[in-house]
Amino acid sequence: MKKSTGKALRFTTIQLENWRNFTRVETQLQRRAFLLGPNASGKSNFLDVFRFLHDIVTVGGGFQEAVRKRGGVSSLRCLAARRYTDIVIRVTMGGGNGNTWEYDIEFTQDNLRRPVIRRERIVQGFVELLARPDDKDKEDPERLTQTYLEQVNVNKEFRQVADFFGSVRYLHVVPQLVREPDRSVGKRNDPFGGDFLEQIARTPEKTRHARLGRIRDALRVAVPQIKELELARDVRGTPHLRGKYEHWRPQGAWQSEDQFSDGTLRLMGLLWAILDGSGPLLLEEPELSLHPEVVRFIPQMFARIQRRTGRQIIVSTHSSDLLQDEGIGLDEVVLLQPGDEGTSLRLADGLPTVKSLVGGGISLAEAIMPQTRPDKVEQLALFGD
Amino acid sequence: MPTSAAFLVSGAVEGLLDEAVLKRLIAHVGAMPGPVYGRRGKSALLKRLHSYNQAAQHELWMVLVDLDEDADCAPTFRMSCLPQPAPKMCFRIAVREVEAWLFADRERLARFLVVPVSSIPSEPEAVASPKDAMVHLASRSRRSEIREDMAPRPGSGRRVGPAYTSRLIQFVQDQSQGWQPETAASSSPSLARTLACLGRLANL
Repeated sequence: MKKSTGKALRFTTIQLENWRNFTRVETQLQRRAFLLGPNASGKSNFLDVFRFLHDIVTVGGGFQEAVRKRGGVSSLRCLAARRYTDIVIRVTMGGGNGNTWEYDIEFTQDNLRRPVIRRERIVQGFVELLARPDDKDKEDPERLTQTYLEQVNVNKEFRQVADFFGSVRYLHVVPQLVREPDRSVGKRNDPFGGDFLEQIARTPEKTRHARLGRIRDALRVAVPQIKELELARDVRGTPHLRGKYEHWRPQGAWQSEDQFSDGTLRLMGLLWAILDGSGPLLLEEPELSLHPEVVRFIPQMFARIQRRTGRQIIVSTHSSDLLQDEGIGLDEVVLLQPGDEGTSLRLADGLPTVKSLVGGGISLAEAIMPQTRPDKVEQLALFGD
Repeated sequence: MPTSAAFLVSGAVEGLLDEAVLKRLIAHVGAMPGPVYGRRGKSALLKRLHSYNQAAQHELWMVLVDLDEDADCAPTFRMSCLPQPAPKMCFRIAVREVEAWLFADRERLARFLVVPVSSIPSEPEAVASPKDAMVHLASRSRRSEIREDMAPRPGSGRRVGPAYTSRLIQFVQDQSQGWQPETAASSSPSLARTLACLGRLANL
């Protein structure tokens, strides 16, 4: 297949101030990034920054809605924030044919608790294309309730950034929601898979057929009994996934998604997400419900898909099976460490201990997992008394 | 060589590539690969060696480990690790790493990596660090997919590229275009001894 690495734009650095768990952090991001940290260290909140940028440019969304959806500025603002309480998100993007971009947004709330923008800046290469507040903003402060990025009539010069944010995908398939779509009726592009089957059904038939074929082949590694995989609508028009399982009957038997195992559905969701779209893909704990030996091949699968599509993949994980992989770069691992002043971010290649352990032949999992272990974890056992 | 595929050989290895090689070798002598244990590195494997040997009292086993720089020659190393192997245990050592066995099929490997045959070492067991040599070779492939998958990105801090293992597993598993154990055995004595040992197991 044709190589296209280097063509897809990706996030190269991110800087946050006062965003949820993070008072002031900055990190580089490779094309593949693994987020590690104890429970509640902020892995999902970190991923949520990219979803936030996506929401800003979404039709029917915008800056106001993106903040409102998250409970307003006061629930976004870091608990450890003190003096400088503006929320700051600064990202740089690159990798797309030498094109580099910087997007910077700083916001707070006014006396009516309405989110207002303090600063919005876009730089392409070394050229500043936008610097707000500008004169018009000073004349009419109302304008500061919207970003320029979300407005089609003014964002022409930097639409590539808007399109890039719009291409961010987040998926975290919850098998129960796929089986019982009633729980999330009316949701479109539900990241938890409530309309997963609808999403598959909306895909043009030729593409869908090709993707389901590839997914079936990949699934058979983990679930060898599965022979066919297709999408069919029932009499009411509701789409269902059907899999043909091989067993003692010579013809095998068809089962639909409500009979699929959690692992089958999760892996299917993961494989679909990888094939769907070309923008950055955010995944939460792709290892859930999967056999550890299946999990060990996930990083290599990501690497190979990225070689073809150039797509950035950012994943959170707790899995030492996943981190056994010898090909994971130390600069691909972002460690989240909670502290009194909020969570800090460190790349594994900036941790001398991890570097020397790995250099000495210890697996990355063994070298880094102790750094993410909660301090008094043994106390949990006492809860049983 | 036995004709029936009715008997199972269990195994233990250091990693995922070794597992693919082990399974291919077991199938090559006409046996069936059973469950494979280990895959957590060399020291973990050696620590469990006596348990595997216990299990080999009753069933056929093959344990494969890299010699690395641990001893000058395989027999010394073997004696120090497992002086008394069970009758159904085939404990083998790759000199110096399993990648050397892949070098031993020069033509096929050259075609797979898209490099000149002459660049592949002709005496694979004399290579001090076959894994590094493999990465170095792959980094000079004429095909960019091979380079990107197998050679580490500058700054990654790792010995191998992001899909090094899965690429080589592909080579090992591909019976029609990939690795041929029989051919490889002719220029790798440690592989030849392994095949002979497996052959004996199969006839037990």
